[in-house]
Amino acid sequence: MPVAEPIIVARDLQKSYGSLRAVDGVSFEVAAGEVFGILGPNGAGKTTTLEMIEGMRPIDGGSATVDGLDVASDPRAVKARIGIQLQSSAFFDELNLTELLVLFGHLYHVIVNPAQLLADVELSEKAHSQVRTLSGGQKQRFSIAAALVNDPRVLFLDEPTTGLDPQARRHLWGVIKGLRERGHTVVLTSHYMEEAEYLCDRVAIMDGGRIVALASPDALIGSLLGRGFTKERVERLANLEDVFIDLTGHELRED
Amino acid sequence: MSRRFEVFWHLFVASGKMFIRDRTAVFFSFFLPLVIMLIFGVLNFGEAAELEVGLADEAQNSSSQALQSALGQTSGLVIHSGSLTDELAALADGDRAAVLRIPAGWELVPPGSAGYQPLSAYTSQALAGEGQTAVLLVNAVVAQALVSVDGGSPEPLVVVEEVAGRNLGYIDFLVPGILGLTVMQLGVFSVAFGFVQLKQTGTLRRLFATPTSPSYFLAAQVSSRLVIALIQVLILLGVGLSFGVQLVGSVAVVLALAVLGSVVFLGMGFGVAGWAKNENQAAPVANLISLPMMFLSGSFFPREAMPEFLQEVTRFLPLTYLNNALRAVINDGAGLEVIGTDVIGLAIWGVITFVIATRLFRWE
Repeated sequence: MPVAEPIIVARDLQKSYGSLRAVDGVSFEVAAGEVFGILGPNGAGKTTTLEMIEGMRPIDGGSATVDGLDVASDPRAVKARIGIQLQSSAFFDELNLTELLVLFGHLYHVIVNPAQLLADVELSEKAHSQVRTLSGGQKQRFSIAAALVNDPRVLFLDEPTTGLDPQARRHLWGVIKGLRERGHTVVLTSHYMEEAEYLCDRVAIMDGGRIVALASPDALIGSLLGRGFTKERVERLANLEDVFIDLTGHELRED
Repeated sequence: MSRRFEVFWHLFVASGKMFIRDRTAVFFSFFLPLVIMLIFGVLNFGEAAELEVGLADEAQNSSSQALQSALGQTSGLVIHSGSLTDELAALADGDRAAVLRIPAGWELVPPGSAGYQPLSAYTSQALAGEGQTAVLLVNAVVAQALVSVDGGSPEPLVVVEEVAGRNLGYIDFLVPGILGLTVMQLGVFSVAFGFVQLKQTGTLRRLFATPTSPSYFLAAQVSSRLVIALIQVLILLGVGLSFGVQLVGSVAVVLALAVLGSVVFLGMGFGVAGWAKNENQAAPVANLISLPMMFLSGSFFPREAMPEFLQEVTRFLPLTYLNNALRAVINDGAGLEVIGTDVIGLAIWGVITFVIATRLFRWE
């Protein structure tokens, strides 16, 4: 399904670990400025697919281009143009957030404005704290700030909300919406469907190393309903999470 | 080029900052050697120990007082006056080398004269050597006192003339050893643990996500550790000097040796850190490397005190080379011609560790 102005083109990506075909012929395109989600259960190959496109993992077969650059032939040039949030990444313990952002800026040969970056992810008050003192949601937000130091064309977020409580998750959704509004292309993985429905323009659903469906969330739901699917229990207009948020409020609980 | 250097420089500064803020690392590499040095400096092991002699004066006359004051002025003796019972108890506890009893009515007269009585001395089997020395000293003091009484003039029996010379105490032996030990610990431990932790937590992986090659970070780590090692050697040497260590050789040569040693031990540290997947793997290997050298390479006591075969084996350890060279330079002012073998030995170790470290290294 070709898109206008693709900023990422993945063609028949493959990756095997021994006899396990972790990624088995994945192709998709991401348009500039969209939020693209890769969904799937654990072990579906989401992270491996992402890491091959990021230049973090060698590509066994197929090809990927980011912003017109071939990832396999020049991973460094690709890394210079993208921002990466790893699923579990740590930062140097002995430096504070400001120092870390400045240092990461130097790794991209850019002078950063740490105060602005921290403000973008609502961490201004933690400018002189160390990462280990942050809550889970704050860590994820800092990790996004660190991925933004080079003002990347594409931002890759690998399960950015896994392990966060509902308040922190919704807060991070706001941050990601903000990134999209500022013109960043975002590729994220998730196994929370309501998250993908809320954030993503289009989603690819992966299972067993392959893409089993790729469209906008509305289109995917529409096609399912079109095949005559009905829920056994009629969905109410609110769910338990809405109750939880209603009772406990939207404010973050991380201090 | 300058852009590359800039990246290196920022990573170098950050590495140094991180080290200084890492309290565990600072404690083990700066304060521990300092504390060891302070403890041994205060204890001052190597000095000739003073002999504690108990004195039970049962005469309490002018003769006994004269003897007591003559004994008190004798260097190497510390006199404790007390009752015979108390002093003998102290002797039994090992707190006295000998106990001297001046019997009632004792006079300082030569044997054979009227009123002559011998002094009695008690020694303990447990401290036979010290007891004997103490008794000999007492004998000499009495003899000297008798001469003065006899001839009326207090001429010494033996005239002592001091010749200038270096008096190397234990602290002089210890400080170069501590310097060597510190260089080793900093190289092996600060790296093996810190770096493996970066690997384990995914911090290194995060660096992979940037366009800068992680080898810049590696280079920055090595260079910052080298500089820290030099600063540390200077501080420890300064403390040593304040303890009266005699620095005969040149500081520049000491620093050059510290650099050479650091390269060898940093190579080992990065070898371990590069090979290990986590701290549980790194810790035993780092200890396996450093513990034997800590005790067998002559940091705390001379290797000559070890059995012959052990001396032969430990001769070739990198810390032995480093300690020997540091000692030769600091204690004797040796030049390159004397420490040449040690320098070559270290250089060979440097090559060996570099080859092994690069083979074993894995980023993830």
